[in-house]
Amino acid sequence: MTTTPAPITLTTSGIHKSFGAHHVLKGISLDARKGDVISILGASGSGKSTYLRCINLLETPDEGNMSLNGEQLIMRRRRDGRIEAADRTQVERMRAQLAMVFQSFNLWSHMTVLQNLIEGPMRVQKRVRAECVEEAEALLQRVGLFERRDYYPAHLSGGQQQRVAIARALAMRPQVMLFDEPTSALDPELVGEVLKVMRSLAEEGRTMLVVTHEMGFARNVSNRVVFMHQGVIEVQGTPAEVFGAYATERFRQFTAGHHERAAV
Amino acid sequence: MDFAFLLNTMGKLLTALPTTLGLFFLSMLFGGLLSLVIVAMRVSPIPALRWFARAYVLVFRGSPLLIQLFLIYYGLGQFDAVRESLFWIVLREPYACAVLALALCTAGYTAEIVRGGMLAVPHGQIEAGLATGMSRWMLLRRVIAPIALRHCLPAYSTELVLLVKSTALASLVTVWDVTGVAQQIIQRTYRTMEVFVCAAAIYLLLNFLLVRAAAMLERHLSPHLRKRPQTTSTPEPLASTLG
Repeated sequence: MTTTPAPITLTTSGIHKSFGAHHVLKGISLDARKGDVISILGASGSGKSTYLRCINLLETPDEGNMSLNGEQLIMRRRRDGRIEAADRTQVERMRAQLAMVFQSFNLWSHMTVLQNLIEGPMRVQKRVRAECVEEAEALLQRVGLFERRDYYPAHLSGGQQQRVAIARALAMRPQVMLFDEPTSALDPELVGEVLKVMRSLAEEGRTMLVVTHEMGFARNVSNRVVFMHQGVIEVQGTPAEVFGAYATERFRQFTAGHHERAAV
Repeated sequence: MDFAFLLNTMGKLLTALPTTLGLFFLSMLFGGLLSLVIVAMRVSPIPALRWFARAYVLVFRGSPLLIQLFLIYYGLGQFDAVRESLFWIVLREPYACAVLALALCTAGYTAEIVRGGMLAVPHGQIEAGLATGMSRWMLLRRVIAPIALRHCLPAYSTELVLLVKSTALASLVTVWDVTGVAQQIIQRTYRTMEVFVCAAAIYLLLNFLLVRAAAMLERHLSPHLRKRPQTTSTPEPLASTLG
């Protein structure tokens, strides 16, 4: 069976980032094709979250290039030698296509669930309210929280908040979804409901980059696994490769510390 | 007790209420607007502006309002340049000077309250706005300002209570506000106790209404901090389970 590879959606190359004297990312290059579900694994401090945050410029990389659907992010060099985005409106436009799901949910606390979902589509994408509401309600149905659409985030459990956050990300109709340890802040019994939603997204062909500690998700749901160590990609490939033949000693040590969840 | 006198005094004092309310609302308005300018400077990337805002807050919070008022009303008139300038139209009026002094002073306090409220906005919610592609202005308007406002409100209502009471100082630069009229009556009748008690009651009532209004606004703006809506079954209250 031969398949032509899907087109490349997201390209990052040579991403470097330092915090003070601490060199966190030492030249990360990674492409995501349409429909790729890439799990990014690594010990705490390996730079995986920083890398994800560099993609949508929540952190500004010191060096590197990024392009989304063939559109290159325009960077310029500042006087101190570092780079920064040259065009703020381009950054905002690209961010709107790169929805992010955070470890701590970060729902807007003063808005109801429904308001959280329609805020971006209405304000950033300038879409019609009725259409946004209709789409938001469909998404809430999908994550099983339609009945809670008038609740405030403070009235929801962590798992419910994260499902709302995923729905909020989906409401932006993103090209790529970035997940930054989406289950790490959840009580163990709430992890499953979030992973279930993420799995269904993967199955419908969404392009996802997932920084995670969920070995089950990495092995069974994603089609590519990247293992980072001290700011470089140590090993990458299909789950079978990375968990099998390609596994380095460090990767084995890393996985030995993680228990897989039966749910996924 | 001489109810006729009290009633008569109250009537006279209430004629001065519009003056007191005018001092309060005008200085709240101008002070509030100025405080936003000070906060913008305080968080600006330009060091000179940040330095100016810090100095402003230090001076106007750190020195007595009464002296600020005297400096503006009596002090500035000392200079020929001021008297010959366009500003003299304002600065020669005791009422305008009182509003100016109150506004400048409350702006210093309010700026710090607003800054505190903005610092209390959870960083994650700001990042969520950025990640959605919001511009800085939209982020300020849709996320930072609404959340900061809720944080500010309790401290700001206290500041407004202080402002109501501070308007009494205007009587010392010949403004006929409630306190000014009270002193006028006392000079004629020598009945200090009754007159000042009446005056104090008016300020007390004003502040009571103010605090109630602030509490209502706070409640209106914070539905997310109230109890969850009763649309689904909630667990039994702990007390009845234990009972």
